[in-house]
Amino acid sequence: MFRQILLAAGVAMAASGGLLPALAQAQAPAKGPVIGVSWSNFQEERWKTDEAAIKAAIEKAGGTYLSADAQSSPAKQLTDVESLIARGAKALIVLAQDAQAIRPAVQKAVDEGIAVVGYDRLIEIPQAFYLTFDNVEVGRMMAREIAKAKPEGNYVFIKGSSADPNAGFLYQGSIEVLKPALDSGKIKNVGEAFTDGWLPANAQKNMEQILTRNANKVDAVVAANDGTAGGAIAAMAAQGLAGSVPVSGQDADRAALNRVALGTQTVTIWKDARELGRNAAEIAIKLAGGAKLTEVAGATSWNQGPAKQAMTALFLKPVPVTQDNLNVVIDAGWAPKTAVCQGVAAGKVKACD
Amino acid sequence: MTEIAPAPAKPVQGDTSLDAASTGSRSLADHLREIEFDPRMIGMVAALAVIWLGFNWLSGGAFLTPRNLWNLLVQSASISVMACGMVLVIVTRNIDLSVGSMLGFVGMVVGLIQVRLLPELWGFEHPATWVVSLSAAVALGGVIGLLQGALIAFLAIPSFIVTLGGLLVWRGAAWWVTQGQTIAPMDSRFRRLGGGIEGAIGTSASWAIGLAICAAIAVASFAARRRRMRFGFSLRPLWADFALAGLGCGAVVATVMVANAYALPAGIARRLTEARGEIWPEGGLVIGHGLAVPVLLALAVGVAITFLARRLRFGRYVFAIGGNPEAAQLSGVNTRKVLMLVYGLMGALVGISACIATARLNAATNSAGALDELYVIAAAVIGGTSLAGGVGTIAGAMLGALVMQSLQSGMVLIGVDTPLQNIVVGLVLVVAVWLDGLYRKRLG
Amino acid sequence: MTSPLVEMRDISIAFGGIKAVDAVSVDLNPGEVVGLLGHNGAGKSTLIKILSGAYRADSGEIRVNGEPVSIASPRDAKRHGIETIYQTLALADNVDAAANIFLGRELLTPWRTLDDSAMEAETRKVMGRLNPHFRRFKEPVKALSGGQRQSVAIARAIYFNARVLIMDEPTAALGPAETRQVAELILELKKQGIGIFLISHDLHDVFDLADRVSVMKNGRVVGMARTGDVTQDEVLGMIISGKCPAGAVPGPGALRG
Repeated sequence: MFRQILLAAGVAMAASGGLLPALAQAQAPAKGPVIGVSWSNFQEERWKTDEAAIKAAIEKAGGTYLSADAQSSPAKQLTDVESLIARGAKALIVLAQDAQAIRPAVQKAVDEGIAVVGYDRLIEIPQAFYLTFDNVEVGRMMAREIAKAKPEGNYVFIKGSSADPNAGFLYQGSIEVLKPALDSGKIKNVGEAFTDGWLPANAQKNMEQILTRNANKVDAVVAANDGTAGGAIAAMAAQGLAGSVPVSGQDADRAALNRVALGTQTVTIWKDARELGRNAAEIAIKLAGGAKLTEVAGATSWNQGPAKQAMTALFLKPVPVTQDNLNVVIDAGWAPKTAVCQGVAAGKVKACD
Repeated sequence: MTEIAPAPAKPVQGDTSLDAASTGSRSLADHLREIEFDPRMIGMVAALAVIWLGFNWLSGGAFLTPRNLWNLLVQSASISVMACGMVLVIVTRNIDLSVGSMLGFVGMVVGLIQVRLLPELWGFEHPATWVVSLSAAVALGGVIGLLQGALIAFLAIPSFIVTLGGLLVWRGAAWWVTQGQTIAPMDSRFRRLGGGIEGAIGTSASWAIGLAICAAIAVASFAARRRRMRFGFSLRPLWADFALAGLGCGAVVATVMVANAYALPAGIARRLTEARGEIWPEGGLVIGHGLAVPVLLALAVGVAITFLARRLRFGRYVFAIGGNPEAAQLSGVNTRKVLMLVYGLMGALVGISACIATARLNAATNSAGALDELYVIAAAVIGGTSLAGGVGTIAGAMLGALVMQSLQSGMVLIGVDTPLQNIVVGLVLVVAVWLDGLYRKRLG
Repeated sequence: MTSPLVEMRDISIAFGGIKAVDAVSVDLNPGEVVGLLGHNGAGKSTLIKILSGAYRADSGEIRVNGEPVSIASPRDAKRHGIETIYQTLALADNVDAAANIFLGRELLTPWRTLDDSAMEAETRKVMGRLNPHFRRFKEPVKALSGGQRQSVAIARAIYFNARVLIMDEPTAALGPAETRQVAELILELKKQGIGIFLISHDLHDVFDLADRVSVMKNGRVVGMARTGDVTQDEVLGMIISGKCPAGAVPGPGALRG
């Protein structure tokens, strides 16, 4: 009996798992410029935000939104791109699962005269447009805000995952800003560590050891994102340092915005996914109408990719969020005020009153 | 019944020495076995001592400080708790690859309960929030474990596959709970489960607990001696009983002293003193941390699971299944039920670990526990658990967790970065299992 | 006439359409040793696994002391005093002799914890009868010799006052001295009124010990004979060709004509 119930439950789960995406795919195309979007993986929360922005911008321009989700499979993404073309897409927005594996499909689209926007992740083909937030700039912004709060002293760098090239870009940006102070000895690098898998728990352990090694003489922490910042702050809280040592982060996730309001984190760099999505849609529609890559407003030439190809790219400026401008994220509807301001004493933070 | 063979000498005292005498000279291992002490445990402790002394030398004395040792114990608490369950799982010739993902999922649910659900009912910082959270975590983990266990035991799907599926399912589910958002901050009472300043119980409570444990050790060894006397078995030499109890008690006292020697940061000590309405003296005041709640929790789990494994029927069946599943079944053991319960227990322990990890980080993140399954399995294996099943000790696994955490923390302390850390930990795992195999071959 | 200790009537079991045991009837009286003979694959082991509760028969009836009983699990069999010593010994290699002897029937303290001391004391008693030189009570049975392991397996069967003992190839893994020891033990148990099924593919092991032999071939009984009424060669003929000699009672599997 028990077996049968288990089996039935298993079958039901498998069936619902298979059916739901199929239902979600049932969309009827309409008239107007057709823009196809190939997603790498909808599992991650933020792409849903991007999708809403892209869809809204395309529909506002009278176009039609088509999409396919590769579910983290580079192989599926290849066929996704082909089927989007077959379904009449005039321009593609591609969030590449694998920058190398996607090349043949993008090359084929480009050869057929279909415009391609590489979304957030680099697809290094000169005929494709590259749209992203400037990660080196994120690193610079974090360093600037921390240096503003603590112009000299012992700095700790909690870096991202050693397997992620973005971690390198971020660190590069931070060091670029701090270089003069590092050289003159005003700022001293007393500890840096990669965070395996970007895991906050690893950042916490690393921070604990760095604090032990330096007998708590740490004046500022440049953490690569909000998760690692959370780990570092938890480690400092155990030493009574949380709130007195500036800490950076990025992503503007709710927990981090709350920490900014509470004063334990100095800054989080906000990369508004809706901004990225809207720009992608507008660029795609423009390119679908026959415009050249260089005619996109704000486009620059860029060749810092691994293969040093001359790309046409647009780098969006992220926004540093500190206690002083917390209202930006609240007003934009990015995060609800109740979440951001939870536990904040009245009169301490302007945005929370 | 009548005797069928020449009547044997009555079971006499010292018959082990008779046996040993017939085999000739006695090795150190024989001596140790006589006092029922596992020589492999000594090997582990020796390895740990070498690692600690080595890092202490390399870090210029920063490793063997109360602070670092205190951190080390807290850092390994979550893995230790799960390793206790993993020993039982591996002893039954199975594996659980899903524990890390389960920890992520249970942690997210716990975060959701105390940050979103309970505050709507009770408001923030309700005194019962932490109890509800911890119970919910243990219950949820247990149910998930039982479900996986049922698939393994009753549908006969290999545990590798079921828990590999679980690894994917629960990681996905962890994301689903809040669509990937991090939940923070946690309830302040709940946070004690993770250590930190709130999670240190203070010096006098630490002494009380330490002395209570010492008393328990003394009572237990006396009771064991009396039991053996009742049946007229050979007794350990009295000195051995005293030495063993003394050793255990000494370790407890040393741990308490180390934990108490780790002083609170001056600013916090002052705030606490003033909050109690006392005056902060001119020259400052040294207040020790004392034992950390997660470490006590891990020790309690270790003792409980050891008791379960050694003194209860359930544990006996777990080991018998690992030794020979067919024999266990033919002896009338309900092997399926036992197997399912083992996974249920594993899940409940994951629930405890999820609370420790979430409380420690003061945030529930959907990536929590990633790769923990590998560390938990490695801890069990380094601690002498055989992947072939049937063999393993809880204490060994907890020591194994401490060895791995010592390596990792020690390397950060001397400035070795992650990629090299992983290389070293990986090599140590392989070498440890190789040495254990050598030892076993020599024994058999 | 009193009813036999155990009676199996018309037992059949099939695995995937192949009848491993086909309408087999055997019986066993108190203090009697019955040898079950046949080639490998003749169905002997399957038959006794039905009696010991490891398999369930598709049809047929088992009677203990004349009463029909249902044996659905090893526990049921043990409840009727039927103990089995398997060919593969069925010992858990990683635990000690006491843990094996009491596996599934542990002695508990009043607090429901394992009473290891009591179990060890009982083990010392029962092993003292079987194998007085046995000393290695604290070691996993994997460290023991074949004979020592066999005595642990036998101790497990007789400790719980078995009335019926099933021994599947009891001497297969033993040397001559140990084999002799097991033979002595069987005679001793017989004296105590225990009925024993002795399963073997080797005639010589069985012939001297058994009061009766039942020979199986292809899942059916060739015939049954008192060992006094037939010669070893005749029994060998039954095993090999299925030909039933004059001194034996032919079964459904006997060669006709």
